[in-house]
Amino acid sequence: MNKKKNLWNDIKTYLFFAGPTTFIFFTVIIIPFLFGIYLTFTNWDGISSNFSLNGLNNYAAVFADKAFWASLLLTLKFVFFTVILTNVIAFFLAYALTSGLKGQNFFRAGFFTPNLIGGVVMGLVWNFIFTNVLVYIGKTYNFPLFSASWLGNPDKAFWTLVIVTVWQYSEYMMIIYIAGFMNIPKEVLEASSIDGANGFVRLKNIVTPLMIPSFIICIFLSLQKCFMVYDVNLSLTKGGPFKSTQMISMHVYEKAFLSQKYGIGQAEAFFLFIMVAVVTLAQVYFSKKLEVES
Amino acid sequence: MKMKRLVSLLVVLVFTISILVGCGTAKDDASATGGNAGEKKIKITMLNSKGEIQAQLEEAAAVFSSENPGIVLEIVPAPAGQSPFEKVSSMYASGNAPTLAMLDGGDLPKLKEKFADLSKEKWINDAADRSLNDATMSDGKVVAFPLTVEGYGFIYNKAVLDKAFGGSFDPSTIKTTKALEDAFIKLEANNTAPIFISPMDWSLAGHFLSTAYAAQSKDSAEVARFLQDLLGEKANVAENKVFNGLIDTFDLMKKYNLDKNDPLSGTYERGPEVLGKGEVGFWFMGNWAWPQINSFDTADKAYGFIPVPISNNAEDYGNAGIPVGVTKFVAIDKEQNSEEQQSAAKKFLEWLGYSSSGQDSLVNKANIIPAFKNITLEPSDPLGKSIKQYMSNGQTLQFMTTTPPDHWSKVGASMQKYLSDNVDRAGLFNEIQTYWKDVE
Repeated sequence: MNKKKNLWNDIKTYLFFAGPTTFIFFTVIIIPFLFGIYLTFTNWDGISSNFSLNGLNNYAAVFADKAFWASLLLTLKFVFFTVILTNVIAFFLAYALTSGLKGQNFFRAGFFTPNLIGGVVMGLVWNFIFTNVLVYIGKTYNFPLFSASWLGNPDKAFWTLVIVTVWQYSEYMMIIYIAGFMNIPKEVLEASSIDGANGFVRLKNIVTPLMIPSFIICIFLSLQKCFMVYDVNLSLTKGGPFKSTQMISMHVYEKAFLSQKYGIGQAEAFFLFIMVAVVTLAQVYFSKKLEVES
Repeated sequence: MKMKRLVSLLVVLVFTISILVGCGTAKDDASATGGNAGEKKIKITMLNSKGEIQAQLEEAAAVFSSENPGIVLEIVPAPAGQSPFEKVSSMYASGNAPTLAMLDGGDLPKLKEKFADLSKEKWINDAADRSLNDATMSDGKVVAFPLTVEGYGFIYNKAVLDKAFGGSFDPSTIKTTKALEDAFIKLEANNTAPIFISPMDWSLAGHFLSTAYAAQSKDSAEVARFLQDLLGEKANVAENKVFNGLIDTFDLMKKYNLDKNDPLSGTYERGPEVLGKGEVGFWFMGNWAWPQINSFDTADKAYGFIPVPISNNAEDYGNAGIPVGVTKFVAIDKEQNSEEQQSAAKKFLEWLGYSSSGQDSLVNKANIIPAFKNITLEPSDPLGKSIKQYMSNGQTLQFMTTTPPDHWSKVGASMQKYLSDNVDRAGLFNEIQTYWKDVE
């Protein structure tokens, strides 16, 4: 009797506090997600009111879609460079800004500002910089590197995406690393100094192992954000020149809504979901093992 | 204490309910808002996919509402760079379909079940020849109102060409690739860049390359058959005379391009600027660019079109005409809008075609070339006049609206590769052929 009442109380408390959130979570995330998976087995074009099931044809089409694999490869390359650069820059910025530099609070705020600009706006601003400002400088002062727009060349356009994304995310990650640095117990650092460890040894043997939790979350966030990049891609290069910088999200979007093959687009999106989930979960699982207690 | 708990519970309840209620009533609101002093106003919406006339349409909507006090018309813009079909499909999916949807001709068949039958409207009989082709479905029903006629070709700046030709430039003299090259050489000798190519995919493939489909034959059924042959791999692009001729012209454009060292860096916005300021003689674009050209105009509004030549024989079909066609249609939704809203929408279309204020907002304010014979207002801008000229001379090609929806984007990418010398002609033709092969 008493136990039953407890259970009822638990449910009541849960519904009271988390009921609305659960409801919203189900209606806007879980149900659309499941319905989306259902749509991967249909030949829906995105708008018509009748469509039929067509089994695994869409998944077969995904494997036959060369442009999809090219985008995927490009996205992997993009993720590789941005995740590494973002985290290296963020880590060292955070290191510098917790070492008691003069005016470090000002610098922290300053470095964080790019993150406050929305992705689309930022893409357009950088688009202007790459097509007009740098070209103007290049032509006026005879820098061959800048005299042609970087956005007109497939390789350089790829690097503009890397630069802008790193510029945007590294400061966000910096904030997380700063929090990590502040949580390192002073006694440990002091003890290591007394034992005669110099700056580099201390960074390598004391600081880095204690920062593992920050690394986990930063790498997780940057992996996930870079895999899903869309806004910067759209406003900076529009996937161009000639689709050479089209990341996977943009490819999926165009497949579903421009080519009007919603089923195939949805199947590609589902594939992408599984891949990102596997990569990020594996990353979290393996790096958790590196955590140490101070 | 108990009181406090009760109050907080109540607050949460109210919030939750208001969220749920909010979902349920949104639709009723849409049809009945703005009912002031007991009088019920009909609210209708229109999806506008011609971003450049947003302000003019809003003005027209205001005039329409003041003449028809019972109706409120709201203009919803489709974001730039998004196809109107994408926008309208998301609006349908959210149960918020616009009463009037401005769409491209090629999108209409896919949505025909959702659109009201307009075959009995008054304006059907006054529509210009061929203007209803795309709006007539396979079952003979007309589902859309032809809103605007557009055309494209090489826009020339007369002042610049007059100077280069040392006298008055006659556009009708350019009917062959050779004549075009002569004009380019004269411009270059006069220290003006001959041409500017805006390297957008929609312009390169949707307009420029599509000329090759349209110029296959005078007969539009023949053109449709050619597209079918491409789909069925029965037609070969690389061996096609028109394709080769058109790419010959494109090679010429590449050679004399203002941005030839960095051909992909150009933008749409740079085109009207260099043309209007007289830095180039030609720009490949359509009459929709007039407002932008006008803002840089230094040639006293003397501009016009010349055709894109596809051979060295002036008599060949396509060398004397420019592609002209209805590019935007307006359809009325019958699925998510009430009868009242539909009839209000029909009233708006009739107002555009027949009332003097409607015609005025269409032709004079929004610079649209209407597709109706009863509208006698002359277009005020030189490009519109030039198109009217070609139309009355019967020198028009079909404006391709029946290519697959991703044609401009995918073939556009191939054209950009060719423009920047990343593939040769064989490679370009191969990519076009492959594109058609892969379309289902």
